[in-house]
Amino acid sequence: MRELPQKEANLFKQILKNYELKQYKKGLKGAEQILKKFPEHGETMAMKGLFYSHLDKKEEAYEFVKKGLRYDLKSHICWHVFGLLYRADKNYEEALKCYTQALRIDKDNMQILRDYSLLQMQLRNYEAYIETRHQLLELRPQNRMYWIGLAVAYHMMGKNDLAVKVLSAYEDSLKDIPTKPDYEHSEMLLYHNSILGEAGDMQVALDHLDSIDKHVCDRRAVREKRAQYLMALDRYEEAEAIYRGLVKENPDNFAYIEGLQKSLKLYFPTTTTTSSSSSPSTPASAPATATAQEQEKILALFDELQKLYPRSNACKRLPLRVATGEAFVRVADAYFQHSLRKGVPSLFVNIKKLYADSDKEKACEKLVLDYEASLKEHGRFDAKSSDSGEKEPPTALLWTLYYIAQHYDYTRQTDKALAYIERAIAHTPTLVELYMTKGRILKHAGKPKEAMEAMNEARELDLQDRFINSKCVKYMLRADKVADAEKTATLFTRVDIADPLNDLVDMQAMWYSLESGESHMRQGQMGKALKRFHQVEKHFFDFTDDQFDFHTYCLRKMTLRSYVALLRLEDQLRTHPYYVRAVKNAVQCYVMMVDKPEGCDTKEMEGMTEAEKKKHRNKQRKAELKAQKEYEERRAQIAADPTKKGKLDEDPEGMKFLKTEDPLGEALKFLRPLQELAPNRIETHLWGFEIYIRKKKLLLALRALLKAHALDANNETLKKQLLRFAEDVKAAKDIKPSVKAVIDNHWATLYGKEAVGH
Amino acid sequence: MSSNGTRASSHRIALGDINPNNLGQLKRINTVIFPINYQPSFYKDVLEVGEFAKIAYFNDVCVAAVCCRKDPTPEATAPHDLYIATLGVLAPYRRLGLGTALLEHILEHAAEDKKIGKVYLHVQTTNEEALAFYKKHGFEQKEKVANYYPNFDDSDAYRLEKVLVQ
Ligand SMILES: CC(C)(COP(=O)(O)OP(=O)(O)OC[C@H]1O[C@@H](n2cnc3c(N)ncnc32)[C@H](O)[C@@H]1OP(=O)(O)O)[C@@H](O)C(=O)NCCC(=O)NCCS
Repeated sequence: MRELPQKEANLFKQILKNYELKQYKKGLKGAEQILKKFPEHGETMAMKGLFYSHLDKKEEAYEFVKKGLRYDLKSHICWHVFGLLYRADKNYEEALKCYTQALRIDKDNMQILRDYSLLQMQLRNYEAYIETRHQLLELRPQNRMYWIGLAVAYHMMGKNDLAVKVLSAYEDSLKDIPTKPDYEHSEMLLYHNSILGEAGDMQVALDHLDSIDKHVCDRRAVREKRAQYLMALDRYEEAEAIYRGLVKENPDNFAYIEGLQKSLKLYFPTTTTTSSSSSPSTPASAPATATAQEQEKILALFDELQKLYPRSNACKRLPLRVATGEAFVRVADAYFQHSLRKGVPSLFVNIKKLYADSDKEKACEKLVLDYEASLKEHGRFDAKSSDSGEKEPPTALLWTLYYIAQHYDYTRQTDKALAYIERAIAHTPTLVELYMTKGRILKHAGKPKEAMEAMNEARELDLQDRFINSKCVKYMLRADKVADAEKTATLFTRVDIADPLNDLVDMQAMWYSLESGESHMRQGQMGKALKRFHQVEKHFFDFTDDQFDFHTYCLRKMTLRSYVALLRLEDQLRTHPYYVRAVKNAVQCYVMMVDKPEGCDTKEMEGMTEAEKKKHRNKQRKAELKAQKEYEERRAQIAADPTKKGKLDEDPEGMKFLKTEDPLGEALKFLRPLQELAPNRIETHLWGFEIYIRKKKLLLALRALLKAHALDANNETLKKQLLRFAEDVKAAKDIKPSVKAVIDNHWATLYGKEAVGH
Repeated sequence: MSSNGTRASSHRIALGDINPNNLGQLKRINTVIFPINYQPSFYKDVLEVGEFAKIAYFNDVCVAAVCCRKDPTPEATAPHDLYIATLGVLAPYRRLGLGTALLEHILEHAAEDKKIGKVYLHVQTTNEEALAFYKKHGFEQKEKVANYYPNFDDSDAYRLEKVLVQ
């Protein structure tokens, strides 16, 4: 009974309109009106559910939509609505299923097809996405977005030739090519060109670039691309001319200067930097180091650039990488004097990479120690020219002392580092950086409490600096002063919300989640710790989710180069160190919960007898109960305060995570993305082993061991895990013969030839 | 800007306000320069005197400060005199003009305030450099106040003052 009488049919059309216009309350009223007469009209019932979900009544929403579906299983509207519901809840897999059903009933529904394709892109279901896009294209061949979407999908799948074909076909079909500069058209052409560049035939890419030249708005991109292609085609002189122009426009762009060097055959990926592999256009045959003669030429080039662009930092810094021996001392001397005179707080950070070369480290040390002596005696950097010229400002000595302290800290000569930072503080006790560095030195010295105190001194000198405040919070957490940390952190959170710490969650401050989680872990509070690590995972989930709107937006706005960069970034997202750290900690917590269900030992429990430990735990539990009670009181208080927005945390202790039925399964959920994205990190497999061996999944444990072994057979943790594995295999009684056979097969790889037949 | 004007570009002096956020720096300066433990009320008052309390930056580093307070005076014509409670420059930064910059700032604002008749202060009788400094700026050395700084070895002080011409 789908057909409604005229009046109700019109009303139904009206409520669909209401939904589009976001008039949810009005729509709901209309739906109720129809349902009064036709209580079993499925599509209306489903719409009612949809309105409910937008009015923040999620549970009822699902009930009504399901009910609607039951009344009318053959309605594409009902299925579409069901899909929308799941989509709003970010359950893309289920949403996709609903759309499939809807399309089975109404296969050419544009609206549903479009939504469908967005989900497929979100889930990186390229094959299916391409199919949907083809369908859309057939239905609306004149729509640009459908062409472009198709090309992007082929590109993302690595089928560059097909992507290019689609784009060319579309370009050919264009009747009126814009004559005036048109940003969107220009971006499309550049995108087309970038695929050609990735495809690798540089002559083709260059020719194409020439052909689109007059339509492109982003002029700089054209020049960058052209220079890059010319280089690849060994047309050095032409490339040089372009790079000179680019350097002139931005003499602080390292890539331009590097390009210029390459075009002059004067580029040498120095042994001191690790980035050499990331520049694809480095000739494979380039030797790692320059000859003395080449070095001279490079330094002459930089001299020339420095004269042309005296304000460029890059032109001052880059020679430090290139120069060696006496030449290094010469350029470093100039660079140091300039920076120390000016007072560049980041000087050490700029220099420390060079310390990978121990000769340079020694040269730097000698320079700054000489400055110190000479500044004290004559007020000048150079003792020899002591009776000529101006005296240096007193800040020169200050920054020199500061540098030396950092130098000794970096080389882990803690006592000297501390002595120098104290000297600097005695010289100028108001400089915030000095206390921060003192804190860092003390942290490296393994004194978290003293480190925290120094950092707090820094904070008190400049209370409005959020960066220092955050650093201080971090150091408080390292010293396990969680209450102090929370108090300090909330100095910079919103004042109008009920739970100020929640503001840190809203701001996705992952450093805070991780540091506080790790502190809770050290204190044996696994629930609280896990809560923080799950928070990090939730942030990453949100980052992934945030891309959804861009699937439409970028195609519409034609920002395709950025779109592809975004997709690639999202695909790698969970290799971010923050995520890796959350995995490490979460796995450790869950494993601990399995190994020590009664709670793990904390530092203070070291050396206690079992009875004492029990007493200690009881005491802790009591303290927890008390904290819980105080918290409930605070919550009641805040609930009564109308100026505070938002809710208090429902589960501050993280009981939800402690009570999980399947801790190892939870741990595995954390680890899975790494197994896919970071198979070359040994930790991925080491952590996997800890989970699988406890799940008694011997084959998966074996696989983890084999992968770890292939990456680094000498890893200390791996060695311990091998022992454990051998023991567990020996102790296991009911291993299936097929499993046993596999293990035997790989035994020699892991344990060596002589160990065969364990 | 000339390219070899080292002095101009590496001897930059600037004055700044004192506020609750950087009060810690002022305290630090006073603590290392003056062997007196100032009460919290001293710093509370500092936040109230506006232009009569300042810190000075040398190449963006905070290295000097001045704190004054307005005293009610018995003379009806000038309701308050201005008392310089502390004026100090961190030792490595002396003789660079920072003290002058701060003092001139105070004198300028005092001259603008019609109710202020004179500016005065106390200096230990043995503090040659401060005496030279204030005399250079037109202060007159007045009476000696015995045991003005009871906790110090050299406890006597001179009163110095400068009458503002209206
Ligand atoms: C007194 C003090 C504030 C001067 O600050 P400063 O920044 O060094 O002073 P300036 O550089 O502006 O000096 C201005 C002039 O004062 C005179 N002067 C300053 N210090 C002097 C000294 N040690 N000896 C002789 N004259 C001195 C000079 O004439 C100087 O001019 P010049 O350098 O061109 O010769 C500083 O020495 C100080 O902080 N002392 C310790 C604190 C103190 O005693 N404060 C006074 C009590 S409130």
